[in-house]
Amino acid sequence: MSLPLQDLCRVAPEIVLCAFAMLVMLLAPIVPRARHGILSTISVLGAGIALAATRFPAMYPGAAYSGLFRADAFSLFVHWIVCGAAFLVILGSTSYLQREDLDAGEFCALILLATAGMGIMAGAQELLTAFIGLEMSSIASYILASYKRDAPRSNEAGMKYFLLGSFATAFFLYGIALFFGASGSTRLDMMTPLANDSARTLLKMGLGFIFVGLAFKVAAAPFHLWAPDVYEGAPAPVTALLSTGPKAATFALALRILADVGAASPLWFWALWVAAVLSMFAGNLAALVQTSLKRMLAYSSVAHAGYILVALATAAATDHAEAGIAAALFYLVGYALVQLGAFLIVAQLGGPGERHVEIEDFAGVARRQPAMAACLSLFLLSLLGLPVTVGFLGKFYVFNAALESNLIWLAILLGLNSVIAAYYYLRVIVAMYMLREPEQEIAAEPVPWTLSLVLWIASMGTVYIGLFPARVIGFAAKAALNMR
Amino acid sequence: MMPAEYFLAHIWMIPLFPLAGAALMLLIGRRLPNRAVSAVCVGSVFLSMCFAFGAIWQLIARPAADRLVSFNLFDWVPAGAMHTNAGNLMDLHVPWGVLMDPLTAVMLLVVTGVGFLIHVYSIGYMGHEGGYYRFFGYMNLFMFSMLTLVLANNLLLLFVGWEGVGLCSYLLIGFYFLRKSASDAGKKAFIVNRIGDAGFLLGLFLMLGTLGTIQFTELGPAITAGHFEFGNGTLTAIALLLFVGATGKSAQLPLYVWLPDAMEGPTPVSALIHAATMVTAGVYMIARTNAVFSMAPRALEVVAVVGCVTSLFAATMGLVQNDIKRVLAYSTVSQLGYMFLACGVGAYTAGVFHLMAHAFFKALLFLGSGSVIHSLSGEQDMRKMGALWTKVPTTARTFVVASIAIAGIPPLAGFFSKDAILGHAFEHSPVLWLLGFITAGMTAFYMFRLVNMTFFGKSRVDHEVEHHIHESPSAMTVPLTILAALSVVGGWVGWPESLGGSDRFAQFLAPVMAQHGEETAAAASSINSMEYLLMALSVAIAAGGIWLAYRLYIQRPEMPEKIAASSGFLYRLLYRKYYMDEIYDAMFVNRTKDLALTLGAFDRNVIDGLGVDGSGWLTRFTSRVSMWWDSWIVDGLVNLAARVVWILSYPVRMLQTGRVSRYALFMLIGVLIFLGYYLRSSGFTLQNLLH
Amino acid sequence: MTPQIAVFLVLAAMAVAGAVSLILQRHPIHSALSLIVVMVSLAGLYLLLGAEFIAAVQIIVYGGAIMVLFVFVIMLLNAGEEERTNVSRMARFVGVPLGVMFLLEVAYWIARATSHLAPPAAQLVSTRDLSTLLFREYVFPFELTSFLILIALLGALVLARREDSD
Repeated sequence: MSLPLQDLCRVAPEIVLCAFAMLVMLLAPIVPRARHGILSTISVLGAGIALAATRFPAMYPGAAYSGLFRADAFSLFVHWIVCGAAFLVILGSTSYLQREDLDAGEFCALILLATAGMGIMAGAQELLTAFIGLEMSSIASYILASYKRDAPRSNEAGMKYFLLGSFATAFFLYGIALFFGASGSTRLDMMTPLANDSARTLLKMGLGFIFVGLAFKVAAAPFHLWAPDVYEGAPAPVTALLSTGPKAATFALALRILADVGAASPLWFWALWVAAVLSMFAGNLAALVQTSLKRMLAYSSVAHAGYILVALATAAATDHAEAGIAAALFYLVGYALVQLGAFLIVAQLGGPGERHVEIEDFAGVARRQPAMAACLSLFLLSLLGLPVTVGFLGKFYVFNAALESNLIWLAILLGLNSVIAAYYYLRVIVAMYMLREPEQEIAAEPVPWTLSLVLWIASMGTVYIGLFPARVIGFAAKAALNMR
Repeated sequence: MMPAEYFLAHIWMIPLFPLAGAALMLLIGRRLPNRAVSAVCVGSVFLSMCFAFGAIWQLIARPAADRLVSFNLFDWVPAGAMHTNAGNLMDLHVPWGVLMDPLTAVMLLVVTGVGFLIHVYSIGYMGHEGGYYRFFGYMNLFMFSMLTLVLANNLLLLFVGWEGVGLCSYLLIGFYFLRKSASDAGKKAFIVNRIGDAGFLLGLFLMLGTLGTIQFTELGPAITAGHFEFGNGTLTAIALLLFVGATGKSAQLPLYVWLPDAMEGPTPVSALIHAATMVTAGVYMIARTNAVFSMAPRALEVVAVVGCVTSLFAATMGLVQNDIKRVLAYSTVSQLGYMFLACGVGAYTAGVFHLMAHAFFKALLFLGSGSVIHSLSGEQDMRKMGALWTKVPTTARTFVVASIAIAGIPPLAGFFSKDAILGHAFEHSPVLWLLGFITAGMTAFYMFRLVNMTFFGKSRVDHEVEHHIHESPSAMTVPLTILAALSVVGGWVGWPESLGGSDRFAQFLAPVMAQHGEETAAAASSINSMEYLLMALSVAIAAGGIWLAYRLYIQRPEMPEKIAASSGFLYRLLYRKYYMDEIYDAMFVNRTKDLALTLGAFDRNVIDGLGVDGSGWLTRFTSRVSMWWDSWIVDGLVNLAARVVWILSYPVRMLQTGRVSRYALFMLIGVLIFLGYYLRSSGFTLQNLLH
Repeated sequence: MTPQIAVFLVLAAMAVAGAVSLILQRHPIHSALSLIVVMVSLAGLYLLLGAEFIAAVQIIVYGGAIMVLFVFVIMLLNAGEEERTNVSRMARFVGVPLGVMFLLEVAYWIARATSHLAPPAAQLVSTRDLSTLLFREYVFPFELTSFLILIALLGALVLARREDSD
């Protein structure tokens, strides 16, 4: 039995997040509405402190709370992604909340609590704990998606997300039950050798259902249909969060299961393979014909889930999963940076009520707001996978891992898909730089400094990690090696 | 490193000057006056050129065996130590490093030298255009990417430059973005190139997996150490995949379609990117990885045949073009085909030699055409030119020099390089030689058709334009003159031994190139007499082409009209300029944009062929076929691919109805499929169910 | 057929019937009442398995408190009979058969798996054991649940507070 103090250290980021969430909730009724900016500030601070608090689990690695939670390099890495995403989203949404006249208090509190849930998913070594983490992030996401209460689209998005999400949750929970039935425990790392064939069948079924639940959360085809509607309807900063944090945390959980449960790899391999291919094609082909940038980015995020699934399939295909896991982690970092930046730009350029999110509305942005256009182009080029951006290296590592594991077809399909993807990303850049501005003037709002800061961080990160990936990939590799 | 070799130790700085220029332009360029913009951007390229020349000088000063400088700036893409499926430890390290050897030296010479001249030229050419700073910013960015590509010491870093030049090419083709055709052409170039890039990347990874390295200097030793037999299947696959990348970038069959459209960009761009530097990147890459290619005879065979067929094919298309830049574009595709032919027959040196010579005279041709277009206030149609010899004397003279050079008349540059290629091709296979030989004749013909239609004969220039004809400013004519001088003397470094030279160029490059077993000095000397014969034949067919062009377009300029008159309707049809313009637009500008328009393209092609260039029926026929091929099969395929993608996305769009119940249903189907798979894998069968 | 199985079958049938009725009823109050049937039958099933504490909690919390809230809200909103939207043809002709197929598949599979499984030794989990487990080993997820509920509360607050904004 470890000391409770050490256990507390191992969940320090979650404690910080929850504490700040409650602080913000307590302050929300006190602070006058005109000064709600202070709540955002506190929340940004909270996310930042949580990010700093990852120092504690780094100092005391190991299992906490009788082995239900684990602080290791892997969970640390994912914590950085989710806490970083929360930090950037809260910071970047400050001006958005003011513009759209939304309450900052609950918004920030929900993001912080959702992030805590994601952190728990990253470290959970037991399915019920993971489930509660998953639900924390999911329920908060449902509410955030419908946060713009006076916008029917936002309400619809929240409702859809909630209904389909519950459907998927039911599968996940049922899977946990079957898993328990087969192994007699919900612990991931304490799989007893299975008694007989029957237990094996139950385990297979349980893992199958768990897969469905996770695939829904990461919006992998064929469970992705909710994503475009929800991403489009939700307020853009929320979409930025939805498409990064929960996805990273869910992938982390999937990787944890793959690494800990020996039976999962052979069982999931083909499911991952098929889901990866379906996601890449479904995402990219559908993105080709979209007219709304928000929706196009939603489909593109489905495609990117497919790319990450390639890395997962690679991890499932081999006994030595490290290359695949490291590639997935690295990809998630780059993807999160870029996707966040892109959606926050959409939130800004969409104007009041997000009325201008069609691709044609972005015509001539390069002249109206050159800095924004340059940032968005950079992010799109990174999604496209152009060298010297982090997106290229992400694809590079995934590609390499796939080939090293002899998944040649998966690698070829990945290459093919990145060709298709070129078309629709370029369309946006063409619109911004090469098309005349639309007839009715779209006012160029000044970019608030908070958003500038976020975009600055995201674009610098995109290029910096693209040029000097050594530390990030080094840590990802360390995290992958540490998992068993 | 000795301090005496300052430039060699600082080659990594060469790309940084243009990068700084580009960054400056794109950040604050809008506020700078044109004069400052040109000072910064041309100055940065000038600095690059000085460093490059210094480095080349110091490289040559070294003894021949020691002409290799390679060092890593930093560890770029590490992967940590990870296990892979194959059981080996993956310890991937790709450095950001530079390499300087004779091959790099040649490329540096071309890129910085020609690049600098074109930058100077652009001061004059772009002087009156909007977006001056943007143009120079992109150009500097291009120089940075191209220099990164050339200086890279590994394939992945080369790929960075490779994608970078692609991006800049896209930006610069679409420079006149208010023209829809321009932005479409840019997009087309980028996407076609992406197809090639996918092949490149696959080849790169396969190389990494097979040889364990993508460092150029380690390729040869790795192949030796790996005991690969000659013609090894994996090496062949690597070579072929890399070649797919090369066909995209260097506009070879079947991915050449973007290059003619790329002429939508400003002319200096065509000269720099689409003639002298970027499009030769494919040839450079193959020469760089020659250690792999030399072990893969099948792949080399493919390279040779594709190069040869492309060169013939493009030349036939060049015969009927009326847009001065498009003739040059097809000519570029054709000449690139020559370079690939050279690489394919194992004569990498000859390929690189032609690359260099071609850079000189083709840049000159493009710049000359730009000067002509400039002086004619933007006119690009050769049928509206003529008799410009005295009006733009410098342009005309330098242009003719370049035309003689490309036609292959000794002692100009083109003769030596083309002759070297044809000689090697003949040793390899007389059929390839014959095709190349015919192409040489066509090259001479279409170049002098262009010269005759532009500078000689009767003036067909519009009246309004005629008053404004003027020689271009000296910022443009001085680079022309320098390039003309280079086109004359540039080939002398490769003066072959059979003509009393010592082919210093080949000797210079020899350390870089894999030794090819077949090419021994003995074999070369035994066919010495053959070599003279081949040379004589090449010169003869070039002269024949020039003569034919002279006869058809100068001596008997009425001949096309005569033939036209014999079919009166067509004659009248074509005599009206308005109508011609429309056909021209439909055929050449919009052709690739609209599948529907291609339906009528065949007829229009025939009409055009009969009326305007009613001579040389046989060659016309072949060119018709290739035009038809171009518009129907190739563009058809491109359009078909777009259609297929569109159709494939249909079910996806159908599913996305927005109804939650349908989404849930679809999820259920997904679950059932996954469950079904697990059932099957757990030994579930119908029999089981019945029991 | 042992008495246990007989009781199980009755309770299970009640639970399923209640759930189907819950979906098919038009009036919300009827749906809520059907839900009570489901909850109570589930409590019976727990009892049958020897989990008396959970059975009691099920009755008190779900059958009691939560249902009171449901009924209260329905009354407060004065929700009338819901209008039947015509079920899409897709749902009727594809969805229902597929759903049934899915159920059968899962049922068959579990039946097959468990038929070979040795019946677990009947064990009564005492409330003391349960609480020890809950507050010792599983204290972390237990505490987390409070945050989960907090999020739900916050959500209710956010979504319900519609027109109050100043």
